[in-house]
Amino acid sequence: MNFDATTIIYILEIVVGGLLVGIGVHFVPVGGAPAAMAQATGIGTGTVQLAAGSGLTGLLSAGLMMSVTDNLWPIIATGAVGAMIMIDATMLTGSWIYAYAVGAPFASAKVNYDPITGFSQPPYVAPGTVGQGIPTICYVSGTIGAAMGGVGGALIYYPLVMINNNPSLSAVFAIGIFLVNAVLASWNIQGTIEGFHDPKFKKWPAAFKACLVSTFILALVAVIITGGA
Amino acid sequence: MTVGGGAAGAPAAFDAKKIRIYGLAGSVLGIYLAWILNTVTGTDIFSFIGAVAALFGVVMGANAVRRVCGYGIGTGVPSIGMLSLGMGVVAVAFGLSVADQFGMGALSVIVTLVYAMIFGYVVGVIANKVIKFNIPVMEEGLTDLAAGGAMAIMGWSFAISGSLAFADIVNDVINTGYIAIIFICGGLAILHPFNANLGPDEKQDRTLVNGVMVGGLSTIATGICAFLTLTPAAALLQLVVGFVIWYYFFMWYYRLVKRDASAVVGTGLLPPSAL
Repeated sequence: MNFDATTIIYILEIVVGGLLVGIGVHFVPVGGAPAAMAQATGIGTGTVQLAAGSGLTGLLSAGLMMSVTDNLWPIIATGAVGAMIMIDATMLTGSWIYAYAVGAPFASAKVNYDPITGFSQPPYVAPGTVGQGIPTICYVSGTIGAAMGGVGGALIYYPLVMINNNPSLSAVFAIGIFLVNAVLASWNIQGTIEGFHDPKFKKWPAAFKACLVSTFILALVAVIITGGA
Repeated sequence: MTVGGGAAGAPAAFDAKKIRIYGLAGSVLGIYLAWILNTVTGTDIFSFIGAVAALFGVVMGANAVRRVCGYGIGTGVPSIGMLSLGMGVVAVAFGLSVADQFGMGALSVIVTLVYAMIFGYVVGVIANKVIKFNIPVMEEGLTDLAAGGAMAIMGWSFAISGSLAFADIVNDVINTGYIAIIFICGGLAILHPFNANLGPDEKQDRTLVNGVMVGGLSTIATGICAFLTLTPAAALLQLVVGFVIWYYFFMWYYRLVKRDASAVVGTGLLPPSAL
């Protein structure tokens, strides 16, 4: 493998993809176990599950598009849309359960007024909890985060397939890169976040630096791998 | 087994260094032993030794999960298990491919291990310095985790393909999608023990025995996969070995649970009011 200009572009694409995954995690309203009990705002599962779920859906849809065309832009767009559909479906069905089964009003404990709808939040936050359900701002933020994750996944997958021509090996390798970045980002937000309006969102530069270093090391070895027989 | 020295009844604390040495030596030597036996005899009947070697990596990884997560990482134990396997799968793909390009397929285990440990150490430094975890054992723990995850994937991949050649593993494990089974089952074996046993009364021997038990279940899974890639005899042997490991360590684990619990009582079936 000789390091020509194309290889450098591939490395850059993988690094940018990894960074998008790392930053995208900060947008997704991750509530963790407290949210599963409707005692915190967000989706009731962990960051890694959500990031992996949206990323893998993005990867699958990007792979499907890549079987048809080699053009980078439709592949990226398909990846983003796939991941957005996955996270939005999760949030929508989760919202039905929070609204009609748990019976909790959707409220954020991190802001006094929802920045998008302008609705007042504190009166609806149950005492002893930090919000419930998935308010509008979290839904919008989660969709943005999923789009970034999907674009990131497609950006990692595309150069890998171009290098080794083996979709399954590329997918496995992309999942590895994806999980490393998602876990580093989730450690940065300490497990839970509401979205871009959350004060914790200001910590993103740390995840940016962490994902930059880790993805760069991974990208350097990714371009050496061949596709096998 | 690396935990074999501990008689049930004593909550013996095994030194992390000792577990690391046994884990690394056991997994590397085990995979090579399986490879040599398979190559010399010209069969694939010894592939199950690769699965047993993976258990050494699992124990090392489970112990590292236990040490790091004991400090509390805020995101739940599964995240660190997925990180371990994520680093492992990248290291395995790299190690196999590079060794293949240099024409020395047998070196792949060493290359994988070296890359996994370096990358794990770097991620540990990042976690402490950039994300500011300030967990003293973070670098060490993630080095162990990456190595354990890589060796687990390597061992079980060998157990399915019966060969260390890159082309064989790509054809038998990655292109068939069995890598996903190894990924999740291996991840469970590494992350589940501490996730299931954590708490103030967590004991090291109980956690590690649980890890080997889940590893036995994973070996059953790879044994089923092996029916489509190896000869039926080799696959059946692997299935039986997996079942024996699972049964032995399940009974051992149950003994440890009874030892550590204040009381074990049967609740019977559902109460009549629920039926």
